[in-house]
Amino acid sequence: MSGTSNEEFERLALPLLDPLYNFARWLCGDSDEARDLVQETFAKALRGFGGFQGGTNFRAWIFRILRNTFLTSRTGLERQKTSQEDEGVEETAVSHETPELILIRQADTELVQTAIGRLPLAFQEVILLADIEEMRYQEVAETLSIPIGTVMSRLARARKQVRRHIVEALDKQS
Amino acid sequence: MSCEWRQRISGYVDNELDPASQKEFSLHLRTCPECSTAMLEEVTLQQAVRSAGRRFHAPPDLRLAVENKLRPRTRFGFAWRWGLAAACLVVATWVTVFLYSQKDDSLPAIAELVDLHVATLASPNPVDVISTDRHTVKPWFQGKLPFTFNLPELANSPFVLVGGKVAYLHQSPGAELIYEFRKHKISVFVFQTKSNKPSPLTLRKNSSFTTAAWEEGTLDCYLITDATGDEVRQLASMFQDANRS
Repeated sequence: MSGTSNEEFERLALPLLDPLYNFARWLCGDSDEARDLVQETFAKALRGFGGFQGGTNFRAWIFRILRNTFLTSRTGLERQKTSQEDEGVEETAVSHETPELILIRQADTELVQTAIGRLPLAFQEVILLADIEEMRYQEVAETLSIPIGTVMSRLARARKQVRRHIVEALDKQS
Repeated sequence: MSCEWRQRISGYVDNELDPASQKEFSLHLRTCPECSTAMLEEVTLQQAVRSAGRRFHAPPDLRLAVENKLRPRTRFGFAWRWGLAAACLVVATWVTVFLYSQKDDSLPAIAELVDLHVATLASPNPVDVISTDRHTVKPWFQGKLPFTFNLPELANSPFVLVGGKVAYLHQSPGAELIYEFRKHKISVFVFQTKSNKPSPLTLRKNSSFTTAAWEEGTLDCYLITDATGDEVRQLASMFQDANRS
């Protein structure tokens, strides 16, 4: 790779180090694994940067490399096996009355983190990319190689599960 | 929940509806307590998730490992950088002592900012967002600072934007922007003002650095460099113009 390409890669990739590590850390659940995953992602992305088409979405591209690398790791394979994605999860009636809003407001950071941590992989990665990385639906779809409709439905279900976890946990406390 | 608009709430909150539908939904919210409650709940949940989800930061050793992989250095180059960093540290200490001995009560922040400027120059990673494009650098600060500011247009000027990072002064976060003027580096610090009293540009020069301080609207701005006063005044004026309300 030429020096210029290397510099261009550095310019695009380095500002994404924190977001990539955050994403990796959530997926792996372990700091050493997340560290290795990020390093491997950067190495792969640097090697493949020659094939990256300028003008397309670099962030989606490098997040996709990280996610695909994770899926082939031991933890990734285990999480796919154990993840109860259940696309057809039963719709539960969720109250939209004010008391629920009050409960969500009462939720502390730790409770929300637990709720995110408990999400099945397919829901967790969508909520991490859409709500935390603030990616557009299209960008999430590109990163995960899934249709936009699937992004929307998984995001809705992910949020519903987080909300349910918070409400149930706070209900138990009270 | 019976309102037929209910299914559009996520799209509205995520700003994914087309502009006309976004506006239409916004009007609907004024008249539908059901949807407005659900929307508020969705926004509250999204904010809680966003804030709780940004939990992990890349450890410094990982950052170093990644950077070393991207910028392989010779042994000599590496040693040379360490030497430069050590020399800068000595200079920083000297500057601190010097400025402290000439402490100016009217600008107590300057000495600390000179330290930050020198530390930035000594750092192998002087900026966290690297770009010459102000439209890339400014948005990078979104969500990192509790205020906003404008960066000046540099076309037809001798200055080049290098990038920026978050800096702290008296426990308050602010922006540090790095510019280049020929071989000189310039740090421009932007913080939220505490006094709300507009103050004009004040230029100071000692044997080491030229500094400038001014207040524009709700912003406290400082500029530190080893370039001369004329350039400082020019860049400071461009900042003032960009942030004039």
